[in-house]
Amino acid sequence: MYLRFLKVAWRNLLRNKRRTLIAGIAIGIGLASLIFTDAVIIGMSDGLVRSATSSWMGDLQIHNQNFSRSMSAELTIERPDSVLSSLASDPRVKNYTRRVVAQGMLSSAADMSMVALYGIDPSRERSVSMLDEAMVEGSYVGGESHLVIGVDLADQLDVELGDRVVVTISMAGTGDLYQEMLRVGGLYRFGSAEFDKTTAFVSLEKAQSMLGLSGVHEIAVDYRGAEHWRSAPEEEIAHLAESGNVVESWVELLPQLQVMFEMSDLSTLIVGVVLFGIVIFGIINTLFMSIYERMFEFGVLKAIGTRATDVAKLMLMEAAWLGLLSIVLGSVLGLGLNLLFAEIGIDYTGIETAGVTFREPIYTISTANQFIKYPIIVFFVTLIVGVYPAVHAARLKPADAMRKSL
Amino acid sequence: MQAVIKTENLHKTYDDDGVPVHAVRGVDLEIHGGEFTALVGPSGSGKTTLLNMMAGLDTPSKGQAFLEDKSIGRMSGRELSDFRRDKIGFIFQAYNLIPVLTTAENVEYVMLLQGVSAEERRKRVEEMLEDVGLEDYIDTLPSKLSGGQQQRVAIARAMAAKPSLVMADEPTANLDSETSGELLDMMRELNRSTGMTFLFSTHDEIVMERATRVVILRDGRIAEDERKA
Ligand SMILES: Nc1ncnc2c1ncn2[C@@H]1O[C@H](COP(=O)(O)OP(=O)(O)OP(=O)(O)O)[C@@H](O)[C@H]1O
Ligand SMILES: [Mg+2]
Repeated sequence: MYLRFLKVAWRNLLRNKRRTLIAGIAIGIGLASLIFTDAVIIGMSDGLVRSATSSWMGDLQIHNQNFSRSMSAELTIERPDSVLSSLASDPRVKNYTRRVVAQGMLSSAADMSMVALYGIDPSRERSVSMLDEAMVEGSYVGGESHLVIGVDLADQLDVELGDRVVVTISMAGTGDLYQEMLRVGGLYRFGSAEFDKTTAFVSLEKAQSMLGLSGVHEIAVDYRGAEHWRSAPEEEIAHLAESGNVVESWVELLPQLQVMFEMSDLSTLIVGVVLFGIVIFGIINTLFMSIYERMFEFGVLKAIGTRATDVAKLMLMEAAWLGLLSIVLGSVLGLGLNLLFAEIGIDYTGIETAGVTFREPIYTISTANQFIKYPIIVFFVTLIVGVYPAVHAARLKPADAMRKSL
Repeated sequence: MQAVIKTENLHKTYDDDGVPVHAVRGVDLEIHGGEFTALVGPSGSGKTTLLNMMAGLDTPSKGQAFLEDKSIGRMSGRELSDFRRDKIGFIFQAYNLIPVLTTAENVEYVMLLQGVSAEERRKRVEEMLEDVGLEDYIDTLPSKLSGGQQQRVAIARAMAAKPSLVMADEPTANLDSETSGELLDMMRELNRSTGMTFLFSTHDEIVMERATRVVILRDGRIAEDERKA
């Protein structure tokens, strides 16, 4: 009997095709917006994380466990040899590079500026970060007194390629100040004002000799499986750090991004609630209009022996069909939008968010979840909203229903 | 003979914006098995109200209605639904049919609610549609049928469910006199051949002529009750 009811409900829905289609499209647009918003946010997160990780950070970084607290020069990575050999033997590690980090100051005749001075291994660095690609003038790191700084910093210090600047750092262990004159050999631009103005590069050996140490502070790792907005699971990467060290992914390295993503979840929720407000109104309206048009019919249905609960079920089935129709329309529309913008992208390049600059347009990312979770939610919301008109229809008194409609 | 349906001092007073409207004022009526009764009266005399109360579609203000000695007023909503489904076949003035169902599906509908087996349903649908002369319209939707044909489908639906009583509220009011005559002849024939009890309200001379019993209602009271041979 319920099969027949389903059939009747479907035919009832098709009685006013235009109204059903309008309602279906309205609900569908709501669903598509949710799917698309989600895809944009994931795409944006992915873009941000990728911009951050591929430009400089790497997917993972290994440090001495105390390094991030004090940044002292002597806090180098413990047992670097075994760390390097476990990196070399992990198939998920694509590339890695060692770095030395020193807090220091650059001074020119015109100005001075605090910087983080990185010593990098030029050839390995190429495979992990994009400093080589970010070079705009001069040459990439290499050679004894060759210093690479950001274009913005060069402007601030009023220096050009070939000019000399004085680098001051405090040495490991003693804390004595060390000064040396270096030549500006290259200028880069990542596009993040903060990073570009406060980060300078020399070769790894140069930095080590200036600081008077033989170890390194940081190993940046290009890690398979940490692509996209998902971070590498902690338990999977933990073994890469020997005791005394920590390994961190962008979740720890860029806490502000994590916070931002949580906020975008909230905004998806708000978008969802607002959309559903509209959608709910549409469903109630559609179902009630169809009830009022069919008052007499409901009177007949009840008069000839249809139980109130069955009348309610019939109306709920109409709501269910409407929901089903809507989620098909919405999913197709959402998928279309996702695929379109996965191709053409949304141009956000150069815009800085949470300290990270988009290096490429936002490309929407579709996930199975978008096409499972949201349609199911929309379906059940439609069904739940349908309860109200269904109960209304079930409660109609046949005599009244038939009199009023004549 | 036991009454199929019986009313005892049935009253109905409507409240029309604070003004009491006495639609039915004390009706005692017994309908016996196999009768073909016309309930006649001018517009507003209370015919619809009386039929509705007898079918449990409306609740009396006073008095009671009994179907096969069971008080209708004591039934719950669900019992009333099932009672109408099993005991009463309805034919209304118009728009009786469910628009999205075909002729056969409409006739089948009440049997479906009753839980009659598919095979039995098919058999009865065929028989009934033959009886009302619509065997060629099995898959037609109501909107494609004439008013008279629609009423015949309604009769088929009412009778296919094998109720105790077929109740019709002005079944011919929307039909021309020729079609009305045909419809009534058909109902009378079915009444004769199956012994089904019919109770219908009407203004129609054509209908009254064919009735075996005519109950005349005036101002909510029975004014005359005449049995013909
Ligand atoms: N729900 C209601 N509210 C108020 N008054 C009502 C209601 N239903 C019926 N009435 C009144 O009760 C009286 C009897 O109405 P009823 O419909 O039973 O008459 P009827 O004999 O069927 O008339 P008709 O031949 O026009 O169908 C009328 O005066 C009508 O206006
Ligand atoms: Mg009437």
